[in-house]
Amino acid sequence: MRITCPFCGERELGEFTYLGDAKPVRPAADAGEDAVYDYVYLRDNIAGVMSENWYHGGGCRAWLKVTRNTLTHEISAVEPAAGAGAAKVGA
Amino acid sequence: MSNSAIPSSTIRMEGVSVAEFSWEVRSPLDRALVAGRHGAHGDAGVSLTEIRNFDLVQVMARRGKTSEMAKVAKARFGVTAPVTPQTAPTADATLIWSGPDQFFVLSKGGKHTMVALGQAFASCASLSDQSHARVLISISGAKARTMLAKLSSIDLHPAVLGVGAAAATSMDHTSVTLWRGGDRGEQAVFNLLVFATFAESLWHTMLDSAAEYGVTIGHSGELT
Amino acid sequence: MMAAAQTHRLTSGGLVDRSAPLSFRFDGQTFSGFKGDTLASALVANGVKLVGRSFKYHRPRGILTAGSEEPNALVELRSGARREPNTKATTAELYEGLEAASQNRWPSLNFDVMSVNQLFAPIFVAGFYYKTFMWPAKFWEAIYEPAIRRAAGLGRAAVASDPDLYDKAWAHCDVVIAGSGPAGLAAALAAGRSGARVILCEEDFVPGGRLLADGGTIDGLPAAEWLARTLAELASLPDVRIMTRTTLFGVYDGGTYGAIERVNDHLPSPPEHEVRQRLWRIVAKRCVVAAGALERPIVFAGNDTPGVMMASAMRSYIGRYAATPAKRIALFTNNEDGWRTVETALGAGLQVAAVIDARAEISPAHRSLASKSGFPVLHGSVSSVDGGKAGVRTLSVSLTGGSRAEVEADGLAVSGGWNPTVGLTSYHRGRPKWRDDIAAFVPDGAPPGMVAAGAANGAFGLGACLREGFEAGAAAARDAGRSGSAGSMPVADDEAYSLTPLWHVAGKGKAFVDQQHDVTASDIELAQREGFESVEHLKRYTTLGMATDQGKTSNVAGLAIMAAVAGRSIPETGTTIYRPPYVPVAIGAFAGHHRDENFHATRLTPSHHWAAEQGAIFVDTGLWKRAQWYPRAGEKDWLESVTREVKAVRSGVGFCDVSTLGKIDVHGPDAGAFLDRVYINTFSNLAVGKARYGLMLREDGFVYDDGTTSRLAEDHYFLTTTTAKAGLVMQHLEFCRQVLFPELDVQLTSVSDQWAQFSIAGPKTRDLLKEIVDPAEDLSNEGFPFMGVREVSLRGGIKARLFRISFSGEMAFEISVPARHGEALVRNLMIAGAPFGVTPYGTETLGVMRIEKGHVAGPELSGTTTAADLGLGKMMSTKKDFIGRVMAGREALVAANRQVVVGIKPTDRARRLRSGAHIIPKGLTPGPDNDQGYITSVCFSPTLDQWIGLALVERGRERIGEIVHAHDPLRGEDYDVELCNPVFYDPDGGRQRG
Repeated sequence: MRITCPFCGERELGEFTYLGDAKPVRPAADAGEDAVYDYVYLRDNIAGVMSENWYHGGGCRAWLKVTRNTLTHEISAVEPAAGAGAAKVGA
Repeated sequence: MSNSAIPSSTIRMEGVSVAEFSWEVRSPLDRALVAGRHGAHGDAGVSLTEIRNFDLVQVMARRGKTSEMAKVAKARFGVTAPVTPQTAPTADATLIWSGPDQFFVLSKGGKHTMVALGQAFASCASLSDQSHARVLISISGAKARTMLAKLSSIDLHPAVLGVGAAAATSMDHTSVTLWRGGDRGEQAVFNLLVFATFAESLWHTMLDSAAEYGVTIGHSGELT
Repeated sequence: MMAAAQTHRLTSGGLVDRSAPLSFRFDGQTFSGFKGDTLASALVANGVKLVGRSFKYHRPRGILTAGSEEPNALVELRSGARREPNTKATTAELYEGLEAASQNRWPSLNFDVMSVNQLFAPIFVAGFYYKTFMWPAKFWEAIYEPAIRRAAGLGRAAVASDPDLYDKAWAHCDVVIAGSGPAGLAAALAAGRSGARVILCEEDFVPGGRLLADGGTIDGLPAAEWLARTLAELASLPDVRIMTRTTLFGVYDGGTYGAIERVNDHLPSPPEHEVRQRLWRIVAKRCVVAAGALERPIVFAGNDTPGVMMASAMRSYIGRYAATPAKRIALFTNNEDGWRTVETALGAGLQVAAVIDARAEISPAHRSLASKSGFPVLHGSVSSVDGGKAGVRTLSVSLTGGSRAEVEADGLAVSGGWNPTVGLTSYHRGRPKWRDDIAAFVPDGAPPGMVAAGAANGAFGLGACLREGFEAGAAAARDAGRSGSAGSMPVADDEAYSLTPLWHVAGKGKAFVDQQHDVTASDIELAQREGFESVEHLKRYTTLGMATDQGKTSNVAGLAIMAAVAGRSIPETGTTIYRPPYVPVAIGAFAGHHRDENFHATRLTPSHHWAAEQGAIFVDTGLWKRAQWYPRAGEKDWLESVTREVKAVRSGVGFCDVSTLGKIDVHGPDAGAFLDRVYINTFSNLAVGKARYGLMLREDGFVYDDGTTSRLAEDHYFLTTTTAKAGLVMQHLEFCRQVLFPELDVQLTSVSDQWAQFSIAGPKTRDLLKEIVDPAEDLSNEGFPFMGVREVSLRGGIKARLFRISFSGEMAFEISVPARHGEALVRNLMIAGAPFGVTPYGTETLGVMRIEKGHVAGPELSGTTTAADLGLGKMMSTKKDFIGRVMAGREALVAANRQVVVGIKPTDRARRLRSGAHIIPKGLTPGPDNDQGYITSVCFSPTLDQWIGLALVERGRERIGEIVHAHDPLRGEDYDVELCNPVFYDPDGGRQRG
């Protein structure tokens, strides 16, 4: 598999580390145990297009949001994480 | 609770007081690098040169400060710091892209050390001294590209990795920064920054990969 | 021994170099061949027909094909450590001195004791293993398996380690092409002329594919001339690379292809410094599969007799190698193409005994060829072959209409038609589709970016191959963004094919479908009768297609026979799933350089070479080599060395390289706020010039990592991690920075390799440091208190960072200098510390001292412990949010009966402890119900002069003083231990603060 890092260009899988579903959002500090439990443990087992967190640790160390089809491994989009590089969110 | 005596073999040297110590620097490749020839005889296809004793500072923009960092870099170095995987050579330093909104300043002679750069970039960037964290190896020769293709998964074709292009990538599962320096005659020159503690291991892997082409090995104090 | 004459070699023609004779040995006999031969063609040229014994029945076997699809002619090539079993004689290039031996025969190929297996044939039918060796289970290892292994099998692997080198490389291109026959060459021409970067992989050692044997006319030129001209043109294109001896064996996601290059398999051993084989990972925007087609056998009784050969293979031996497999041949065909073998044989001056053609009609041209050349054309089928190890003698023919005929011949060419090579196009679970007109499976789509062309796509005519290849090559170049002109397309006529499907001729005697695994037509029929109706079941029950050739010549025939028995069509029956690799690939090639000491990359500490000079024993910790202990002359074992080291530190001073700890610069205005979120305790309020121990949780509430983090400036922290988790913590922190908390202005940089860091410990630490640190530096308790951090000057000029932290429980500092000064520092520590008996110590002593001090480490940070389990619950801030806070508060994670860290001592002081033993309450039976924890870390404590340990024990801290039982079923040990305070040494911490 090959992933096109928005910073480095197309690279082979070995430069990347997979983390998992990029959809769950870390709950606010006061969200309560149930919300955090869902965030930590509950995942959809998606057969199809999925948004995933990948780390380009063997390259520029950017965290990426990769849109991948789990059935075909086709990657349709790769975006940098909100805090990759120096861009300030909303800036 | 036992507090046993110092082993009797220890010799106490009363009154020894060494006023000054020697703090010689030793490259991580000091033992592994044996200058001369390696591998196949005949014309060496690959030349490996370790560049020793350089200053290397990583400059990372603070949040929202990329344009300010660029201005400071331009003012100090007279060139635009790379914002894509490229290098920007100046008279006394090379700026090398090392990731999003960050670059290395590679230099010699103490002009662009942490202390000097720290003041210039204080308002807009975080600096980290990497002078001792990396080993710099220059790879050239007719078979340099062929040999690197055994180690590097990126496309080294001259039309893809042109003179001045850089890459943050991995070799032998080890993170490296690779860039193409100016050609030497007809031949491409590849420069490689590798983490110091991995350097000896990668060096041996490079020698093994290059052995069939014949290797010339040396070290130099000069940046190419 | 004199080489036998090449009795079956034509005096002219072919692509062998008669000026370069090569001598070789097969089963101890010396023969000669020529450069350009394969082992198979050289054996053919010497009249050798019998080359092996079959897998199950030990039947005599000859050469069936001339390529990588060969099921029979497998040999052990080379000898000693280089002995390589199951090497196909049909692809092994001949070299001077080649040594090969036939397989699966004893004592010799001509007299094989195990051929009596044939008499027991009824028991070796499909599912034989499953049916015969059902019980008793213990007989499997003792009796069945050894017996089967002796009787059945292929070659013997070398016992010694492979002496040769292998490596791996990457290649990148626009278009990769599999196969250099007419379609592949035309594709390369079109793509290359268009300006594309092209890699053309050819598994043979000469490009050309079927052109080499079959010739033809292209662009008005003889094939050989067109081939030479085309190769010259391709060679002139700078970005076109032709890789011979290279098989494209697999396709992977994202346009990555696997190829194996047999760099030096054609030599007795690789030249010095060169590899035997190289594994290529080729990244290509497009792929043209021009891998051709494989001729398929017809299944009939005795079809495995030496001398029965595929018709196209016979043409290859005669046309390409000028070697004649027989003097008088017969052809059994169901299609027009098979007749080309007759033409080739006649052209070489061989006799043609007869053509047995299963079709109702044959072309007038062939009919007149038969009458002109004086051989009969028999309409019908070969029903059996009479012959033995000496080869084909007589053929029995069932004629259309019912009568029979006999044909005398010493060779039989068989053509059942052609199967496109659909492997590569089907490797992403693609299923080929059936085409009735050619009675064959053809690709039905392909992985993204790949297209089949020519015979691989079911287009068998020479003109069609050139056209499809050229068009595919031009399109691939365009798709890759190359816009140059492809120039003019090579043109040739298409030959007639006209095939009438025929798979199996009924008759008496064994008719083989899969010759390598000895699967017969009746095995397939039996499997079907027994209910194995799915092709995947058939394959596994009969082992059809599961040998080293993966059924290249047998799968489709097997499916056809199965379909006929079941009364279904072949497409209804379907195919099994195709999986790479297309040809067997040596494990050595996949490993490449990564074997023995190069199994993985290693990391060396700044003091590594100095430690090696001292005779240190090194231990692998992750990728690191760390000094484990420093033995001295006269010490009889590690324990003695470690005991000395511990005592020396506790009574004097010692040092240890701790550079392996992960070190991270945390910069930025929000650095403190960031650390507050990743650690359970607070760092934003840490004073500049101070260090603090920090603990990180995972988001699920369990402990992740720990370490000391110092504040070097208002906006600069220096964070350390454990050695084991250095890379993972960096990744985790980057995740926090980039994904979870992008609003924080913080920057992270690994500085693990920038600093050489040493722990200096023991009551005389200050004495040593005073020798080496600038005298102006105040190291007193007041001037440099516990957990203080400061940059200091060292005598002689350089700066160092000094951290007053202690892992050993002693008065201690950690000192760090830029890494290239690390070796100088260690030598200077030895000089400065000599008056105080300074002792270098390794990871063992480090471990002993941390257990004595009750510090947790890897075995306690097991991923299942909470901060409170480790006795660090009070560190957890209640005033802020941090990773893992909410989940750490879950009921089960704060339950009163959790297993917590406690110290243990054996009740028998002389007893040795071992980690892993289970803790059981006194008087209860060991078992899961009474299991209350386990021993995590143990050591011999020189300070206490007995073994001590740490354990995770239910409510352990409330049970100090209780005697419990340690049960170690793995080692068969049972003993009592006392639960105690985990801080064995200096519990009030006076020494480290002193």
